[in-house]
Amino acid sequence: MTAQPLIRAQGLTKRFGGLVAIEDVGFELYPGEILALIGPNGAGKTTVFNLLGGVFAPTAGSVAFAGERLDGMPVHHIAGRGLVRTFQHNMPFASLSLTDNILVGRHTRFTGTLFDILLGRARMRREEDDARRRAVELIGFVGLGERAGSDVSTLLFGEGRLLEVARALAGDPRAMLLDEPAAGLTPAEITRLVDLIRAIAARGIAVLLIEHDMHFLLPLAQRVVVLNFGRTIAQGTPLEITRNPAVVQAYLGEAASGFAQALSHA
Amino acid sequence: MRRFYKPVLWLAGIAGASAIAFMLGNYATDVYRKMLIWIALALSFNFLFGIAGQVAFSHFAFAAIGAYAIVILSVKLSLPFGVAFVLAIILCTVLALVVAIPATRLEGFYLALATLAFAQLVTVVLNEGGDVTGGTGGIAGYRLPAVFGVTIRGPWYTVVLVLLVAFTLFILRRLDQSYFGRACRALRDNSPAAAAMGVDIARTKVIAFTVASALAGLAGIGYAYVDNVINPPVFGLENMFLLLFMVIVGGLGSPLGAIAGTVFLYLAPFLLEPLVGPGFLVVFGVLVVLTILFRPGGLAGLLSLVPARKPA
Amino acid sequence: MADLPELIVSAAASGCIYALMALAYLLILRPTAIINFAVGEWAATGAFVGVAALTPLAWPRLEWPYAAALLVVLVVLGLLGWAVEVLTVRPLLRRRAAVISPILALLGVLVIFRESLTLIFGADPLPSPPPFGFARVAIGPFAGASQQFVIIAATLALFLAVWLFFERTVWGRAFEAVALNRRAAALMGINLGRVTAAAFAAGAMVAGLAGLLMSPLTSAHYTMGLPLAIQGFTALVIGGVGRVEGALLGGLVLAFAEQLGARYLPIPSGLTLGFPFVLLIIFLFFRPTGLIAARGAN
Repeated sequence: MTAQPLIRAQGLTKRFGGLVAIEDVGFELYPGEILALIGPNGAGKTTVFNLLGGVFAPTAGSVAFAGERLDGMPVHHIAGRGLVRTFQHNMPFASLSLTDNILVGRHTRFTGTLFDILLGRARMRREEDDARRRAVELIGFVGLGERAGSDVSTLLFGEGRLLEVARALAGDPRAMLLDEPAAGLTPAEITRLVDLIRAIAARGIAVLLIEHDMHFLLPLAQRVVVLNFGRTIAQGTPLEITRNPAVVQAYLGEAASGFAQALSHA
Repeated sequence: MRRFYKPVLWLAGIAGASAIAFMLGNYATDVYRKMLIWIALALSFNFLFGIAGQVAFSHFAFAAIGAYAIVILSVKLSLPFGVAFVLAIILCTVLALVVAIPATRLEGFYLALATLAFAQLVTVVLNEGGDVTGGTGGIAGYRLPAVFGVTIRGPWYTVVLVLLVAFTLFILRRLDQSYFGRACRALRDNSPAAAAMGVDIARTKVIAFTVASALAGLAGIGYAYVDNVINPPVFGLENMFLLLFMVIVGGLGSPLGAIAGTVFLYLAPFLLEPLVGPGFLVVFGVLVVLTILFRPGGLAGLLSLVPARKPA
Repeated sequence: MADLPELIVSAAASGCIYALMALAYLLILRPTAIINFAVGEWAATGAFVGVAALTPLAWPRLEWPYAAALLVVLVVLGLLGWAVEVLTVRPLLRRRAAVISPILALLGVLVIFRESLTLIFGADPLPSPPPFGFARVAIGPFAGASQQFVIIAATLALFLAVWLFFERTVWGRAFEAVALNRRAAALMGINLGRVTAAAFAAGAMVAGLAGLLMSPLTSAHYTMGLPLAIQGFTALVIGGVGRVEGALLGGLVLAFAEQLGARYLPIPSGLTLGFPFVLLIIFLFFRPTGLIAARGAN
């Protein structure tokens, strides 16, 4: 791990009118690390994602990405900085082909101006060819190879999830926010997803996950942040937090000891 | 060999369309020229509506601005044609930007209404423009002046219009097949996801609107010298609806579909009117409803010019 | 200034017509999120059916008494509205198509109606007899054609009835439920198809009534639809789409702004035609929710 965190969230607070969604949440995420954000429904996990993703600005606190302040930045700038997110529900571009969907993910890496496009500069063609090669590679990487020519609307739910991931990877991000990536997947698909996320982290990309499925998440994450009622109640390795009484009481319940056992034998 | 394929196709198309110009009599020439203007308008409108998903009723208003600008600048203000042309294009582009920036902040049908209101305001201004715009009667009795010493008349003007269509198609195709075109389609399909991928939604919409509207203005300039008469009704709501129908029936998002839809709906009255009499427009309304209900891909989908797409 | 009371009557009457058009939009818009531009043509249809029922000028030349003619207009428009919903809107809603699809399809319906009116009734304007004759009426200083007062009275009565319907009856409440959340309403057992069809039928009837009421003053003409559609929508935007009262307020605000502006502002009269559009643009940008806020989340 490098000394500098890629994402540093400090004192993040978000209030909607009188409602406090999160208060004083802070964590760090390093390149190549897999960090999980867990907690009961309404704990504020999606609010954290929305703050990181620029959907709205924090009421207080800050988010720094590679040293640069991210809070308050418009959504589309954040992707350009190297932070991308996927959504809980698949959001494909229905009228575009699979490859073109992925190419949209690479939007921020195209350098041509409008005039370059109109004049048909060679550089534009090269960027386009490069991007297409990369898209084909990504299709294979996430495991959608067999469906490469399909219409996006014919993808199964699990395949749609893979498309989300491929699209997010297309822009060479440095960090990815995955919002419940395992939700709705079959056990076989979940296994594929675990391998995929490990492979992504192995490429040096920082991964922040929200998940409810502990079987999926605990073996995968290197560190976990636990939220409850908008506040951080624990941070640590998966083994540590399954043994943390506050976490057990708030969220994990009786299953905690089973998870702890499985983890310590892993 | 592939590198030669495309330019050859373009040249062949232009040559073919131009050759037709020399084979037509007066009446047919008029029909053909107007069809070319409609095609140019449909192509730019298809980009704005079919590709970028912006429901805008201002397209003919910008054509009006182009037409009136060129005529007022070159005839009333007696500017040299080249200067008038450049100024007219600049005026269209600037006005398009001025409208685009606030208008594209509106969603869905609110954008349609705002652009509709703008279009109606333009009509009111044209009708009340007194000596400047010629009021409800418009301006007549001018001709295309000599450009660089060359006087363009007859079938050669038709060739100019063919080139106008080719130019419009060329620009729009280039944009469509680039990352910009993908961004337009992405923001139409799913705005939040597009933004999360880094697409600047506001900027993309403004550019799409401005380019499309400026091209509409260009078509308007071309139209000014077809009849050598311009008046407000031509640029009104009736024709705007017709343009919308052409693009829908042709197949939203497909340039070739837009051309097909335009040719079909433009030529249909010539065949229908003798058979059905007045009110043949009923058929258009029915066609639009049928297209949306049963074949949202339009003619383009039927002829498999584009892969089957989900209904809009 | 001496003619101000007459101007007020005139503006009130126009405002009521705009309000009826806005109501027609609203009845359809709330449960379906569909903006039905064809309501203008429905108003024109109401005007023509009125002429056909009241005079020998148009087929079927019924020359019936006014009450009967009114009933004919309402029934015919109700059926047409219901038919349009079932044939063109329901399949799209069932298919979960984006809301833009039915809106565009209804533009096709608009053209179908307008051209059909031309085919059936011809291109010339047809005069329509007012139920209380052409005499001028005065209530205190407020004087105007009898039909203007008929319009005002009828509109107020209708708005009151509609307001009571939504506030006090079970069906009205069901309608509101669908407006607020289609899915939840369906889960509660409300028949979406029936509500949607009823909404279209009701919208058509209100629009037809507007056309019938205004035709003694302006004649029935196949071009009357589109301006009404635009004015009605402007009134809706001004008043706010959430509540019935908004439609009435919006219509009156629009009409008064138009007519008082035309009369007292120092600009050439032709340009005042641009008023509704300027107002529409202003409200779309600065106050898109209109003057009266919607009830509940929107």
